[in-house]
Amino acid sequence: MRRSNSNHAQVTPHADNAAPGPWEGEAEGIPRRGVLAGVLGTLAAVVATGLAGNFRVGKAAASTIPKVPVRRVPLPKVLALRPRWASWTVDELNANNDGWSQPAAWMSTILNRKKLGIYHDSFPAESSQPHHWVMVIDLRKCIGCQACVVACKSENNVPPGIYRTWVQVVETGSMVSNPEGEIVTSAGRFTSGVRRSSLPRLCNHCDSPPCVVVCPVKATFKRSDGPVLIDYTKCIGCGICIQSCPYDARYFSTVQETADKCTFCVHRLDRGLLPACVTSCVGRARIFGDVNNPQSTVSKLLAQYPTNRLLVSEGTDPQIFYVDLNGDLVMGATAFNTAYPYAAGTNTNEYDNLTGRVLLQTPLGGD
Amino acid sequence: MHLFADMGLQGGSLESVYWGILIVTYPFISGLVAGSFVVSSLSHVFHQHHLDEIAPLALIVSFALLLAAPLTVLADSRQPVNAFELFTRPHIPWSPLADFTVIWLSYVILMLIETYFAFRYVNVDMAGGVGWRAKLARVMSLGSRDASEESRRRDAKVLVFLSAIGILLAFLFHGYIGFVFGAVKARAIWSTALMPVLFIVSAIVSGIAFMYLVYLAVVRFYREKPDSNVTCTLLTWLMGFLLLDAYLDAVDLVTSGVSAYTQGPVDKGVSAIFLHGPHAFKYLVIQLGVGIVVPFLLFLVPRIRHTPFGGGVVALCVVVGVYAMRYNVVLGGQMESKISQGLVNMTVPLTGFDSVQTVIGVFGVAFLLFLFFSWLLPWRQAVSIAIGTSDIPGQHDHSDAEDSTNSKPVDEEALTASTFEGKE
Repeated sequence: MRRSNSNHAQVTPHADNAAPGPWEGEAEGIPRRGVLAGVLGTLAAVVATGLAGNFRVGKAAASTIPKVPVRRVPLPKVLALRPRWASWTVDELNANNDGWSQPAAWMSTILNRKKLGIYHDSFPAESSQPHHWVMVIDLRKCIGCQACVVACKSENNVPPGIYRTWVQVVETGSMVSNPEGEIVTSAGRFTSGVRRSSLPRLCNHCDSPPCVVVCPVKATFKRSDGPVLIDYTKCIGCGICIQSCPYDARYFSTVQETADKCTFCVHRLDRGLLPACVTSCVGRARIFGDVNNPQSTVSKLLAQYPTNRLLVSEGTDPQIFYVDLNGDLVMGATAFNTAYPYAAGTNTNEYDNLTGRVLLQTPLGGD
Repeated sequence: MHLFADMGLQGGSLESVYWGILIVTYPFISGLVAGSFVVSSLSHVFHQHHLDEIAPLALIVSFALLLAAPLTVLADSRQPVNAFELFTRPHIPWSPLADFTVIWLSYVILMLIETYFAFRYVNVDMAGGVGWRAKLARVMSLGSRDASEESRRRDAKVLVFLSAIGILLAFLFHGYIGFVFGAVKARAIWSTALMPVLFIVSAIVSGIAFMYLVYLAVVRFYREKPDSNVTCTLLTWLMGFLLLDAYLDAVDLVTSGVSAYTQGPVDKGVSAIFLHGPHAFKYLVIQLGVGIVVPFLLFLVPRIRHTPFGGGVVALCVVVGVYAMRYNVVLGGQMESKISQGLVNMTVPLTGFDSVQTVIGVFGVAFLLFLFFSWLLPWRQAVSIAIGTSDIPGQHDHSDAEDSTNSKPVDEEALTASTFEGKE
């Protein structure tokens, strides 16, 4: 730059004039190199801190300022740019020795496209396949014990703070003013018109899953027998599948640092076992089976009862069917519409209004 | 180290804002790419010869930002070491993110070719000298030694052709980013067909305004006076595109903010987030007020319009408004919960992953690239040749506006001798 500047000073017509232009003195006198060196040095520092910030150096440093007990990140390890998904080897993930630390084994079984076809954008009709696994959840039987949540976390080593399945507890209705009501308050007497119901939620393993279509690297796929799965070794962690899931069933695993979701316990399924949440359901509210087999329990349930699915308007063709979603089978004409909206998320301002801001710290550190 | 509750963007809770300030910056930077490329194309394709002075500069800015733009998404990605999978197994054309590889790579290749042709003549000229600069020029001219008038006309023709393709690619590059958001059906506020168009138009607006600021800064660096032809032309084009942007924003507001004209979730979200909620100030005051209304009002005052400083204030307002637009679309759009009640909590971390610190780093990289390219490419010489004099920017006779549009005959030998004699 300095060089070109002085060049121009030479060729300028004004250079021959008696009165020098405002730029001319600078070409000779002002130490541009010093200014540039300063700018470059500052910038290099800014860039270094900025890039280091992405590897959480800054976060670690900043979090040491308040007196919160924080595990220090050893500096050489961070600077070594270790691939984050080396977390395959995190011992906690492989607690059951089920192959989590050996993606190669996973690839030859679950991800083996020669055994069962996998699809990334155009999906086969479910009737064209030998099996199509679906889940029917009978809400009349769900008691909200959360055993399925615990079983899922235990079975799949889901890191603390995130869930593949969860049971929302929904309260609807209001107190009904009644002069002979059993509830006496200063504002009068009431009878309870409040109903509390539970809504188990999980990945809907949609038949036209938007999360699969948007994946830029074909890491997530739908297997021909129904489950929507992720090849964790290919995931780049861009997050667009999480954005495009209308059920919010996907999340970033804080240990693997990839997108993650319910797999219908595909490792159990391939060995002839039911998913963990189904096995552990005390009320047998969760029923799992092959909808292509007319003799299966799910087929009979679907034939016998009216069922609802969540957010059908999104066009995803979800494969989790709810019996009595609106409560009308049990409550009849007095049913409340409990289905919409489903519940307050724990990370929303409405939840904060109820409980105050909840700060959680995971016992399991990453990195 | 996962203090995810206060990180907000890291995930962990059920509904989270997963795309943070880096994804706000990605469309902003690539918008500047598209916009500054349009500025350089205005000179090459649309014969805005007042802009000849900043066309090479715009090309350099565009190229530097183009190379820096993917750093934002790379830094936001949880598995940056897996990013090569985008090239080995892209999900084309289904995934908008996978189309990135094709569009961005072809844009980079086109920019390389365009940069070669834009600076070929100057490099050939400089290659005759001695010293490292001449050696560098010999390398960058790729063996071409043709400095004839004929070759310069051919270069100009090639540049027109390349710029025409480049405009299409710039639109595609930025349009795909709009489509990344527009294609996410689960986010009610994002899912509109207006999204790519909104992004492209505001990209052009921000690019022109940004080039105005860069021009002022560069002129200031060289202690010169800004050329009022350049500033006025830029400001006029800026106002034209800003008018289009205001129209599109109005359409967007009417079709998403009025409950009678839109679907329930869209109306609910826009009203709860942008009209009365946490983004009301950022949307109504900064994006629409500072970004659109204030520039128009300032432009109406001749004393502001005609001074470079006043124009700079207008341009700064526009750039701030466009950044606010990206911020509102990306972060505001994610605040509406998909299947829960209420608005999703969000905090933008100042340091660490996906933070303001990283954004500053990316802008720092872009600035370093800009400095490197403006050192590597002899754009000042290209400017003096392009405007038909050996004059440097800012030293024109402004009395005749037509003057700089007609290229004066160049005494090539004298120019070469005086300009490019290597002293090393």
